Amino acid sequence: MIAPSLLLILIIAIYPVFQSFYYSLFDLRLNEPTKSSTHLNYELNLYVYLQYEPFLVDGLDKQIKTASAPVKQKLQNVKEELTELDDQIKEDAGEAYQKVYKMFMNYETPSDELSLVEISGETASEFQKTIADLNEKLSTLEAKKTTDDLKQIAELASGLEGAIIEPNFIGLDHYWTTFSNDRTWHALWHTFLFTIISVAAEFLFGFAIALVINKAFFGRGLMRATVLIPWAIPTAVSAMMWSYLYDGQNGIVAKFFETIGIVPDMATLMTTDVGAMFAVILVDVWKTTPFMALLLLAGLQVIPKNLYEAAAIDGASKAKQFFQVTLPLMKSSILVALLFRTLEAFRVFDLVFVLTGGGPGNSTEMISGYSYRVLFSQQNFGLGSALAIIVFLCVALISIIYIKFLGSDLLSDSSKT
Amino acid sequence: MEKKASPLFYAFLILFAFVIMFPFLWVFLSSLKPPSELFGVNAFDPFADNPTLANYKHVFLDHPFLDYLKNSFVVAGVTTAYTVFTASFAAYAIARLQFRGKAIILGLALSVSMFPQIATVAPIFRILLNVGLTNSYLGLIIPYTVITLPLSIWILVTFFRKIPYDLEESAKIDGASLMQTYWRIIFPLAVPGLFTTAILVFIAAWNEFLYAYTINTAPAYRTVPVGISLFQGRFTIPWGGLSAATVVVTVPLVILVLIFQRRIVSGLTSGSVKE
Repeated sequence: MIAPSLLLILIIAIYPVFQSFYYSLFDLRLNEPTKSSTHLNYELNLYVYLQYEPFLVDGLDKQIKTASAPVKQKLQNVKEELTELDDQIKEDAGEAYQKVYKMFMNYETPSDELSLVEISGETASEFQKTIADLNEKLSTLEAKKTTDDLKQIAELASGLEGAIIEPNFIGLDHYWTTFSNDRTWHALWHTFLFTIISVAAEFLFGFAIALVINKAFFGRGLMRATVLIPWAIPTAVSAMMWSYLYDGQNGIVAKFFETIGIVPDMATLMTTDVGAMFAVILVDVWKTTPFMALLLLAGLQVIPKNLYEAAAIDGASKAKQFFQVTLPLMKSSILVALLFRTLEAFRVFDLVFVLTGGGPGNSTEMISGYSYRVLFSQQNFGLGSALAIIVFLCVALISIIYIKFLGSDLLSDSSKT
Repeated sequence: MEKKASPLFYAFLILFAFVIMFPFLWVFLSSLKPPSELFGVNAFDPFADNPTLANYKHVFLDHPFLDYLKNSFVVAGVTTAYTVFTASFAAYAIARLQFRGKAIILGLALSVSMFPQIATVAPIFRILLNVGLTNSYLGLIIPYTVITLPLSIWILVTFFRKIPYDLEESAKIDGASLMQTYWRIIFPLAVPGLFTTAILVFIAAWNEFLYAYTINTAPAYRTVPVGISLFQGRFTIPWGGLSAATVVVTVPLVILVLIFQRRIVSGLTSGSVKE
């Protein structure tokens, strides 16, 4: 009965993380044909190879017939090398060679899987040497008399070069480049700053609000609904809404801040480093404080009332009651609420992406946003995946720290029946 | 602690509610303003002198906004149905059956819910690209069901544990199979819990941005959050249209929250707070 859920989770959630890690070990760029997938070994694209090789041999044959004796000998040598290589490739590729050849003759395009065959590094270097050799000989010939035939042969030879795919496995290189890059450290710093300030503010305000509304009052349901609305609205939509409120000319919130003197003028909010960071944090606090208050309120309400009565009889002051009764009993709800919020804040993406786009001048660029930009704007899947894995590791680290604090409360609860 | 609420308390509540709701109120008021009052000296007047519905007309007639709404509804709807269906089986098994590795499965579900989406988006994008599912509903529904499954399982496990065990036992004695027990006895009792989960899943799927932005790039398949985030002119942002669009998206959610607030709160807290 669990199988369908478990299977989905494994395939769509866990496997991609491993896949991301795997990508991060390669120089993988979607916008370069020879680097658009992962190659552990030297490979030969048979389809590309067969587009050039037979014609190159034919062209050489023709030249050999007409050329003078010394040139003839040289070309003959190259041709022999090529045929030797071809035999080698036929042997390495096995059936695939014939299949791709047939498809090519029928004007069909074979799939990448079929046409890519692994070749040894030796064959690959032999291959490149032969082509270089040929090119050199052709260029000396060309110097003497340029004919269209020779030009064509040179073109065919250079086309063959494109058939060889070099391995793009680079190990942990991306991680070193990432960590020696200031932009990564800035993005990490912004993320930490954002996470710590927003979660701290949300927690303090949230707890205060929870304490205040932890009593029976008229209109409680309505209050709860009000509190839930910012949480329920898509982040991208509220980010867009706030960008209107923050607008340097027509934004009411910007105007308000200017009036009460928080910012020198309305434009400061979205155009300066500190202003933009403040703006982003404020939206996050607005959006999630109510939610935090709700979670903490739920924790407050399960504390038995008689504990307070007992404490009051023992002469404990309100403050003492709070520290001796409320806080210890709230420990696990506080930690759970903080854990979820910290993780969510750390992986923040859409709020910043829509509100500031990481600007001005990368001053609000978070690690997720940076990773996204490298992945999809620069199409550099290798480096982008390395950044994404860094986000993943940070998130894992944060959870481990919290769970250490939580003890096994969280999981032991689940195993009792 | 249970004191009668004082007038000061209500004053605080009203202030608090006002701060929370202010952005929505302002955007709503702005959506009724003609362009001349949105910019310049009148920009800070709360009420429009010449209220107009032109912004709303503009949103629906000049933008494929109805398409965005439709896309979001289809994607969030199918995700909800599928997730709740699958999660209820898993949760029932975890809550009732005895087998090894239960704690591991729950732990796994919990940790998956903490995965940053950015760490999975690149491979998912490539997989979907290879099987030709980018720019389709299914391309979003598949990842969405996965990100919403863990929380759903957690909420439903808590819920199933509250259902008295006796009922099932008597069904078993009467010779009902596991599936019969589930459909005849448990399912009807679990409807409120399933409903709570469904609301949460729907909201989560409706709000998702990163996958939607990456996987469905064709305008015909954009969802509401993506559509709104790209809602800009070449040089200026059309605030009037934007606020109208925001109101259109917000109002259904506000109604949803108003009606189901009790269920949403119970779902949220049972998913994360220990009882």
